[in-house]
Amino acid sequence: MVIDLKRCIGCHACQIACKAENGTRPGTLWARVLKQELGTFPNVRRFSLPLLCMHCRLAPCVEVCPTGATEKRADGIVTIDADKCVGCRYCLMVCPYGSRYYQGEEWTYFPGNGANPYEAMAYAGHPTGVVEKCDFCLSRVEKGLQPACVLACPTNARTFGDLHDRQSEVSRLIDERGAFRLREETGACPSIFYLPP
Amino acid sequence: MLPYRPQREWIEGRGLLVVIAHFFSGVAAGLWLFSLALDYEAGLIISIVVMIVLAGGAHLAFLGRWPRFWRMILRPHSSWISRGLLGIVLFLVGAILYVLPGLRDTTFGSAMLALSVLGAALILVYKGFVYLVAKAIPFWNISLLPFLYIAYALRGGAALLLVAAAAAGEVFDIDLLQAIKLWVVVSSAVLLLLYLALANNAGPAAKRSLQELVAGRISPAFYAGAIFLGLVIPIVLGAIGATAGLWRGLLALVGLSSLAGDFFVHYCIVKAGIYLPIVGELPPARSYRGRPRLF
Repeated sequence: MVIDLKRCIGCHACQIACKAENGTRPGTLWARVLKQELGTFPNVRRFSLPLLCMHCRLAPCVEVCPTGATEKRADGIVTIDADKCVGCRYCLMVCPYGSRYYQGEEWTYFPGNGANPYEAMAYAGHPTGVVEKCDFCLSRVEKGLQPACVLACPTNARTFGDLHDRQSEVSRLIDERGAFRLREETGACPSIFYLPP
Repeated sequence: MLPYRPQREWIEGRGLLVVIAHFFSGVAAGLWLFSLALDYEAGLIISIVVMIVLAGGAHLAFLGRWPRFWRMILRPHSSWISRGLLGIVLFLVGAILYVLPGLRDTTFGSAMLALSVLGAALILVYKGFVYLVAKAIPFWNISLLPFLYIAYALRGGAALLLVAAAAAGEVFDIDLLQAIKLWVVVSSAVLLLLYLALANNAGPAAKRSLQELVAGRISPAFYAGAIFLGLVIPIVLGAIGATAGLWRGLLALVGLSSLAGDFFVHYCIVKAGIYLPIVGELPPARSYRGRPRLF
């Protein structure tokens, strides 16, 4: 995925779309947007930084998982098998991007009132006692659709595609604009590229 | 720059159970080794009980889905937690079979002894590496950390030995106990100081961790627990023992104080873990034209 920081306006539409598509519990943000300031007064600018799981090529979470619940697929997407996860949270410790979430309890948006019908339906796919994270809307991608965050972006700041295909839009953007990745020094080789603001 | 983010999962709420589990597993392994060296039967039993009840219990209580704990042994080729669980299994199998009456002087007993020592060694080693591989937390990603954990595990084992021996009325060779006590206190103090010095030069996030430890939110636990209980009290009591002579009560006090201090060292190191900010200054954009892409 390529995220154009020049286009991102920090509207959080991706964050909302992810919530709606995946039905995550309160406090769990598979896609989130952080606000960052650059420069010093009077030359200050602010930009928005969308964050999600980086689906790293050398994902530290895959390496440290003691049960094999976290795996990297052949297409590069890092997934978690909730039936294998024991909730040790070791993967949470080693992730440089804070992109993993542990579901310790059955949080709902209206504490004391239980889960409403929407929540009951949505949270059925989010068992407690395990770790979860963005999976690039795998169920959509497998049908040839785009992830929800990509579709929701009003400025087309996000582009999803095959990084190995040098003719793909993601490859073209990286080649033409130049790109960077976050915290490359950790050696994780993230698959999310950012175009400079 | 985005603010520093302290790690919370392995220290707050139920996360404290990880620290407790790591502490007691090291203490139990250390006690086993010292008890073997000093031929202290009760110490062998105590170390098995501590490993199963305290270390094992705390480990299981922390897990979100503890009935699946057996799965954690499946990836020793890549995960230090798998290697640690393998060590615990080897230790318990070897230790329990070794202490059974009638087996100790047999070839099978010797094999179980070797298995238990191998398991104990693996337990001593694995904990430091569990934290070391977290490159996202520079305070933990210091190569001295495994040695620090080994030293404190042996120190904890020696401390529990003193407490158990004092409580049971056992009297060991006093000079040997003095030597053990001196060694564990001095070596662990030196390693701790070296570790903190290395942390000061391990980047801004590690420096921030050190700052939290010595002058921030963790400093009360560090000074009262790790330094006062863990170093000052044992040294002072040791000096008293050297002049006035050792007695059981003094041995127990040294052991208890040392144990408390060891726990606080574990606690402080884990609590001080602070993540690298996700982004500091924006890195320069680079072109990947014509270059192999690392993805």
